[in-house]
Amino acid sequence: MPRYSVSRRRALALLTLTSILLITLDLQGNAVVDGVRKVFGAVFAPIQDSTRVITRPIENAWRGITGYDELTKENERLQDAIDQQEGAFIAALATVRDAQELLALNGIDNLADISSITAQVVGEGPSNFAQTIEINQGSNDGLRVGMPVVNAAGLVGKVTEVFADRAIVMLATDASYAVPVQVINLPEEETTTTMSTSTTTTSTTSTTTTSTTVAPMFESPGVGGSTSTPVVGSTSPAPTTAAPSTSIASVLTVAPPTTTPARTTTTVDINDLPATETGALRGRGADRAPIVEFIDQSSRFGEIRVGAVIITAGGSKSLAPRGIVVGRVVKVVERSGTSGAVLEVRLSARLTSLNFVRVLLYQPAASR
Amino acid sequence: MIEFLNRSYVRVALVGLLALGLQTTFLSSAPLAGIVVQLMLCLAVAAGVSGGSERGAITGFSLGLMFDLVLSTPLGLTALVYGLAGFLAGYFNSLSINHPWWLRSIVVGGSSLIVMFVHPVLATWVGVDGWLTTRVFKVAVVVGLANAAVGLAAVPLMRWTLAIKRQERLAPPPEIYA
Repeated sequence: MPRYSVSRRRALALLTLTSILLITLDLQGNAVVDGVRKVFGAVFAPIQDSTRVITRPIENAWRGITGYDELTKENERLQDAIDQQEGAFIAALATVRDAQELLALNGIDNLADISSITAQVVGEGPSNFAQTIEINQGSNDGLRVGMPVVNAAGLVGKVTEVFADRAIVMLATDASYAVPVQVINLPEEETTTTMSTSTTTTSTTSTTTTSTTVAPMFESPGVGGSTSTPVVGSTSPAPTTAAPSTSIASVLTVAPPTTTPARTTTTVDINDLPATETGALRGRGADRAPIVEFIDQSSRFGEIRVGAVIITAGGSKSLAPRGIVVGRVVKVVERSGTSGAVLEVRLSARLTSLNFVRVLLYQPAASR
Repeated sequence: MIEFLNRSYVRVALVGLLALGLQTTFLSSAPLAGIVVQLMLCLAVAAGVSGGSERGAITGFSLGLMFDLVLSTPLGLTALVYGLAGFLAGYFNSLSINHPWWLRSIVVGGSSLIVMFVHPVLATWVGVDGWLTTRVFKVAVVVGLANAAVGLAAVPLMRWTLAIKRQERLAPPPEIYA
């Protein structure tokens, strides 16, 4: 059994103490440590870039060997998904347009107003535990620590380290990631049974009723510069509107001010709008789905259903603006007492195969 | 200039930078069974096998510190773990006088496996959440096996890096004289 001399013990103790000192300094947010990281990042970047160029052919060959079957299957699956989504996409575009108009009318920021920068994913996290990616845009392009990162499908993560022309993004699956979110519950479904002479058919009907009436309107100057827009020819029994301001009532009627004679009036019963609740989304590592917890569940919200949509909640201190699609609830774990349910979430964005992402140049109102 | 490049710490820095380049590019993008092979850890352990526990600890600490500078985890955590890895590998290696290639491979793989369990434990201890999951078992096994294979090349490489002469290499480990 080997024994160690005093000098060796001292050397080992010194290394351990140095590590502990460095960990303590870094956890407290030391400027020197950050500076050293930045300098090393600048020195290391050319080495990393050249290694990437040299090893890319080998990497592509490796991926070709190990991922070909999966890629073929994924391609077929995606083709099916595209066919299914084409119709839904067109309908969704109209809805998004309506929503943006409503947000603009109410002076609420929406995602379309936030500048963004497209970045390419140039590297993945070298650790097996931290979930990070590296992108090819940095502080020279206006990126700051904390900015949200999205792709076409939804939330990807947030910027955690910024260098001159690259940045590290912590993925939403990382155990250190957390963001306030809203859970938009699905409308209640009721089962109706229709009897016929020969067969019994069971169908599921959504109770959400949204009536949309397209009507020509006349315009006249209103009080305080607002525009009164009486609706003529509407099929709605109560054709009164309030524009541009909107009132939250049992029935919300909104008509955007316009100069064109034909407008769209959307009448939505507010009781039929999907109920929302806020909570906190937290990543749990690569192999486990992120969860939403601390949900303040009200009676109107009802029981949370699998498939409920999760979006970012926004707020003056939140690093992400409101309205970024996060994903859907795949499992509801009820807990006893006042701790509330925990929701397992399947993220909309596929974080395992990211190529291009968008960094929203957004900073919360509290830190502007 | 050549004399400068022949110094072991300069070689450690150069080999470390190249390995870090590979670690953050090719190895990160081409995982093995979903797990990133830890080349930097392999080199730290190989340093312990070829140079003994003390040199292994110092080299492992240096390599870990370089790795720490590109990770978002607390600076010093990987340095501490890799320093321990180098020390452990040197210690295990000193238990035997003869070191055939297969034994070196087992020592590299075994030390890597142990360290992959220690890393998330220490991370949790310093406040990094979410590392200590059942995935650790898969990570440890894959990294251990991969490093056992890569160790066959990494041990001679670290022997050169640490400028260990043949005479010193064939001599019994220094620990037995201590």
